Amino acid sequence: MGYLNRMGEVLVRYSFILIGLILLLMLVVILSAPAGYREVFEKEFLRKSWGVEKIEKSACLECHTSEIMRLELQEIPQEWKKSWHYKNNVSCHNCHGGDREDETMSMSHQRGFVGTPKDTEVPDFCGKCHLGILKNYLKSGHGKALKSSQKGPNCVTCHGSHNIQKADIDIINEGLCTQCHSFERAKVMKQALFATENKIKHIEKELTYLKSKGLYTGDEKKTLFRTQVEFHILFHTIDVEQVKEQTDKFTKRLNLIEYRIKDTFEELDFRQNFSTFLMLIFAGLGGVVFLISRSCRE
Amino acid sequence: MWKKIKKGIEIRIGLEELISNSLKKYRVPKDTNIFYTLGIITVVAYMIQAVTGYFLLLYYVPHSEHAFNSIQDIMNNAPFGWLIRMMHIVVSNLMVVIILLHIISLFVMGSYKKPRELTWLAGGCLLLVTLAFCLSGYLLPWSQRSYWATTIVTNMPTAFPVIGDFIAKGLRGGDYVSGITLTRFFAFHVAFLPPLFLLIVGLHIFLVTRIGLTTPPFNKSAEEEKPWTEYRHVSHPNSYPFYPNFLLKEVVMIMVFFAITFFVISFMPTLFIPEAANTPADPLKTPAYIKPEWYFLAPYQMLKLIPNKFFGISLQLILIGIFLLWPFFDKKEERNILKRPLLLVVFLLSILLWVILTVWGRYS
Amino acid sequence: MKRRSFLSLLLAVLGTTALGSFVYPLVRFLAPPEEKAKIKKVIVKKNDIPASEAKEILFGNTPAIIINRYGKGYIALSKVCTHLGCLVDYNKEKKKLICPCHAGVFSLEGHVESGPPPKPLSILPLKVEGEDIIIG
Repeated sequence: MGYLNRMGEVLVRYSFILIGLILLLMLVVILSAPAGYREVFEKEFLRKSWGVEKIEKSACLECHTSEIMRLELQEIPQEWKKSWHYKNNVSCHNCHGGDREDETMSMSHQRGFVGTPKDTEVPDFCGKCHLGILKNYLKSGHGKALKSSQKGPNCVTCHGSHNIQKADIDIINEGLCTQCHSFERAKVMKQALFATENKIKHIEKELTYLKSKGLYTGDEKKTLFRTQVEFHILFHTIDVEQVKEQTDKFTKRLNLIEYRIKDTFEELDFRQNFSTFLMLIFAGLGGVVFLISRSCRE
Repeated sequence: MWKKIKKGIEIRIGLEELISNSLKKYRVPKDTNIFYTLGIITVVAYMIQAVTGYFLLLYYVPHSEHAFNSIQDIMNNAPFGWLIRMMHIVVSNLMVVIILLHIISLFVMGSYKKPRELTWLAGGCLLLVTLAFCLSGYLLPWSQRSYWATTIVTNMPTAFPVIGDFIAKGLRGGDYVSGITLTRFFAFHVAFLPPLFLLIVGLHIFLVTRIGLTTPPFNKSAEEEKPWTEYRHVSHPNSYPFYPNFLLKEVVMIMVFFAITFFVISFMPTLFIPEAANTPADPLKTPAYIKPEWYFLAPYQMLKLIPNKFFGISLQLILIGIFLLWPFFDKKEERNILKRPLLLVVFLLSILLWVILTVWGRYS
Repeated sequence: MKRRSFLSLLLAVLGTTALGSFVYPLVRFLAPPEEKAKIKKVIVKKNDIPASEAKEILFGNTPAIIINRYGKGYIALSKVCTHLGCLVDYNKEKKKLICPCHAGVFSLEGHVESGPPPKPLSILPLKVEGEDIIIG
């Protein structure tokens, strides 16, 4: 019995040497961690509620990124990965159809595979999702030119096919527009759009700033997005008169958002002032009590 | 008028004697340093949390559809709701900082040794309860960070072979984090944990006052070196009364604590609110780099690095066990850590490890 | 002594200010929330909406639509698409609500049938009283 007690005592007494050793061991293990440890960890611990992992299996990408493909076809996934579509989880089958998981059916017409659309088919191809824009495009000079003479700008002419970015007013530039006509007409349209686009960009910046201050801007963002999209859809009529006519309406809507944002800025200022005031009062109190405590020392 | 009330209370409960015994006669050694006030600051921080928490309860809705919006309501529509919520967030983080400083200073001054082992144990349990508060608390806003950090944490018990799944399911109320989890964690946070905390704090404070405060070990104190074979309340020859001297010291530190809180609220309001914490939870979208709150970064990083799930979690449990039972491991009577180089090295190594893991976790 | 009483006075003043700047916000916080500017009810005549037709209204700040579903009665839905906030359009032939931004398709009950929207459209409270349809 006494022997066990002594053993226990010795163990306990030297236990912190043991602990030191454990810590050193941990250091060694940690420093020799295999690369990619984060992915392995997340796989184990980040069990997602909907079961199947997203995006992982893409029959399209498996072939189109492999060496057996022609170089032009290999470049397509690389272009797509830079695009706004990729960032929003829109991938090959969303536009081209086909079966994403089964290689044998990945280009099957039975699964809706469409392949590369011809020039005249491009608007309907993109218009599968972008309905509002398609409607206005078909009414526009551009759309009518394409339908009647098979020669005219389609979506890909201005936006590209796979490396599609968020639409910007600078898509209207000399290089693109002078392919068919003088830049004068395009310039007039660009000017008509300019003020509204600027305002939208300005509001976006303000919303990002508010977000960085900790405010949740989801609702305002939705309203701004809706306004911006409607404005862009309007543009596709390529009708300067219509744009000019409706600019007032859009400006009013954007102004409403701006008023609300201004109110928020004022509120933020008030909050900072109020908490600074509280901070100063407590600092003052601390100082006064400190002085009192000093005089109490006696 | 005031004198009459005082006299009235005096004849009924002997107020004079009460104050004299518990506050004036209670002596505090003269060479106490600033770290001695950390205990009461923690209690004050808890009180702030309780009060702001009660007020937040008025508007918060613990349902997955409404939680995030109710908090936006508090921030934007309720008058001064922002102040109450910001205080709750900032003080919760500062409370953990204060507790960590408290533990470090106690360790360095060897205040856990006989006869104060139980005090240390109770304190260790308080740390765990506080962390449980923090964990259950930050699911409640139902933001992206809340949802995914809780997914990770509730998956951790599954490392254990038999009871792991049962515990995990019990915590989550199902196979994955959902509205049921929210309701459970809300119940923990608001109803189960507060009485537990108060119980242990009561025990902790009772033990501290019953035994008496330690003197810092860096100066000789013959009194403390007598072996503990029977109960006595430590007496300090070189001391002043708790009231008013030490109490005033504590009040100064409490004011400083408040000032720091409001400094953070005014000038660094997003210090504890990363972007993922300001986006409503989306069970279909996992954010790229989920991180828990800063105090969990070190254990989180350690878990990530150790390849075997079971080994990783067991190691953490062992470390927690060693931490809680430390006074029973370290029985040497020497309290001055500077005279115990081995312990000093082990101690500094652990702190260094913790800091490295935390920073690594933050930037990985 | 003079210093002591000055300090006590300062303490009293600062203390009261601090207390006041806590009590004031807490009291205001406790005040009952203002009647959310009562969103004015919108009243539409039954005759305005023949069968299979729809009417767009503005309910408070939300653009909404009242549809006379053939054989299933009236329903009032918010027009705000739950994907990114565009306004959906009513398509009479297909009997669906379609979002022009990314082709989200909703049934006339507001349920998501295809496309990116994550949640169904919000349904607004609707009552039929005699010849009137009352929203709100």
